[in-house]
Amino acid sequence: MTGAVTWGLVVSSLAVIVVRRRSLAIALVAAQSLGLGLYAVTQGSHTSTALAVTGTVLIAKALVLPALLFFTVRRARKERLIATELPALGRLAISVAAALAIEQLIPRFGLTGAGTEHAAVAVLALGILTAVVRRAVLFQALGFLIAENGIYLAGLSLPGGLPVFIELGLVFDLVVIVSVAAAFAAKIHEQLGSGDSSLLEALRD
Amino acid sequence: MIDVLLIAVPVVPVVGALLVRLPRTPPGADHMNLLSASISAAVALTASVLGIVHGAQGLHGSWFVLDRAGACFLAVIAVVGWCSAMVSPTYLAGAGKSLFTARRARAWYYTAFYLFWAALLALALVKNLGVAWLLIEATTGASALLVAYSGRRNALEAGWKYLVLTTFGLAVALLGILILFVGLAPHGGTLATLDWQSIARHARGLPHQTALFALILILVGLATKIGWAPVHNWLPDAHSEAPPPVSALLSAALLPTVMLIAWRVVLTLGVAVPHHLADRLMLAFGLASLAIAVPFLWRPMAWKRLLAYSSLEHMGILALGIGFASPLATVGVIIHLAGHALAKSLGFYTAIPLLRHDPASAHRAPRGLARLSTPVAAGAGISLATLSGLPPSPLFFSELLILLGGIVAHQIAVVAIAAVLMALGFLGLAHALIETLAGESHGHRWRSGRTVRLTGRLTVGLTLGLLALSVGAYLLADSHAGASLMRGIA
Repeated sequence: MTGAVTWGLVVSSLAVIVVRRRSLAIALVAAQSLGLGLYAVTQGSHTSTALAVTGTVLIAKALVLPALLFFTVRRARKERLIATELPALGRLAISVAAALAIEQLIPRFGLTGAGTEHAAVAVLALGILTAVVRRAVLFQALGFLIAENGIYLAGLSLPGGLPVFIELGLVFDLVVIVSVAAAFAAKIHEQLGSGDSSLLEALRD
Repeated sequence: MIDVLLIAVPVVPVVGALLVRLPRTPPGADHMNLLSASISAAVALTASVLGIVHGAQGLHGSWFVLDRAGACFLAVIAVVGWCSAMVSPTYLAGAGKSLFTARRARAWYYTAFYLFWAALLALALVKNLGVAWLLIEATTGASALLVAYSGRRNALEAGWKYLVLTTFGLAVALLGILILFVGLAPHGGTLATLDWQSIARHARGLPHQTALFALILILVGLATKIGWAPVHNWLPDAHSEAPPPVSALLSAALLPTVMLIAWRVVLTLGVAVPHHLADRLMLAFGLASLAIAVPFLWRPMAWKRLLAYSSLEHMGILALGIGFASPLATVGVIIHLAGHALAKSLGFYTAIPLLRHDPASAHRAPRGLARLSTPVAAGAGISLATLSGLPPSPLFFSELLILLGGIVAHQIAVVAIAAVLMALGFLGLAHALIETLAGESHGHRWRSGRTVRLTGRLTVGLTLGLLALSVGAYLLADSHAGASLMRGIA
């Protein structure tokens, strides 16, 4: 795994935590999936069919799911600034600190490169942190894709890749989950006039 | 022959999901639902009977394993799914607005319901951890839509919370599975590497650290879906906001089925970690869930929300039974699983007439039902009495068996803490039972409409099932069933 790919994934994940525009965040996640897909295809063509499948799947992920989320954004164009959200620098600081802590907690687990292992865990953690520090439901849905890209990064580093059945099943599940999340995002926007998830706090004991 | 039957178990409800979309009228969709549900349940129950009769060593196939424990779970999912399908037309008849357009709402409800049910049935059968993970993730999509079916703001909140928390939890579990796959790769590196039998065979060769981290990540990830404390936040909201037939399926089928997967992980991977850490982790989840749930059982709470916190309590008791890892506790787990499923389903089905006649009970504790409607009071009373563990309910026997199993396993301190928490939970629910039935109530006696009559019939049927389980608990405790269940699970 090249350093450019792993660093690209980590930096784009951090960028999603910082950027204000939803369309830019979607483009960043699409680029992330595309980069991983192209890497897998170039590697897979001369190592194993599993990697080629991974690449094809990731390219589909880079086109289909972002298109679905762009469609959701278009339906809810007027997005207000979300007042309850931390400033960008605060979000970045919290995310970097938490991701570094999590990455330090997980020991080496047997991938070929230590850097890839660290990057995979960091990207997964950043996906979860995106949902924690961003209040907009669409950003939280993007967190799913980032977290899954972290898992894919680790899967690509396995000698034979992940089993094809798991690869295809993962993408199917991801399409279902992101479609449902997009439907929720649209409905929440329709009901609240905003995609701010902090407005969804009526259910407490 | 057995292969065909077991393939039919998840395929029949998937076909049902397609068939319910064909009729153009609501009564047509309801009839198709009743037909599809009955065939689906009959196929699943036939398979589970075969599993119980022939499953001492497990029936193994290309994609399935049917052992006695799995067969018991399969039977529970079949019965709860069938009951939920039967009450769904009554719920839908008075449901009002929904997340979907009025014309297609019923079709979407049934489609999501059948896909959810199919995934649960398949989950009890699959022999591979990776495939099990995919099915658990698949249940999330369908069930999140069902949770938010009413389209109300609170339902959207509950559905969104459920979707986000369980999806990220499952991502953590997937990292654990990946770590396990990397560790087991020298033994194949294919999909079959993650078969339960393969994990059990090769787990002892894993480095302790790899096995430990894989185990922790998988169990913590699955805990978010099971609703074990402290990662249970979605559970009370989703159970209280979902349509009652879906709440029953979530509480009585989804949570225990995902727990079956966690149980298999503990049995297969647990041998690779020192000091019985897998069992201890289950005991920790069990005690934490009980400790978090019990204070809420003491508070006056809306009916479905009270049942949701009771689910948290009972998932904790089941985790304790698994963590004790003794034959006596294992028998207790199976009896508890089935008794909880029947009693909890009855409680949620009772919510249909309750909310229809007293919509305010969506936000406050119901009171004085005995004066308002005898069938509804009977349903609520039997459900709460059973869930509290009042003798001679099967949950009384199962809790006793689990605690005795803990003593046999020399977990005296855990048993003592659990017994105190269970006693406090019993007192909380007993108080709720008295208030629900005999508290001060206003208003006239409810008319005996369709929903009330249905609740009366369900109460009779499910009460007979609960009595049969009590007898079963008495007979099974003195048999070799526990050892057989534990041997067969992997």
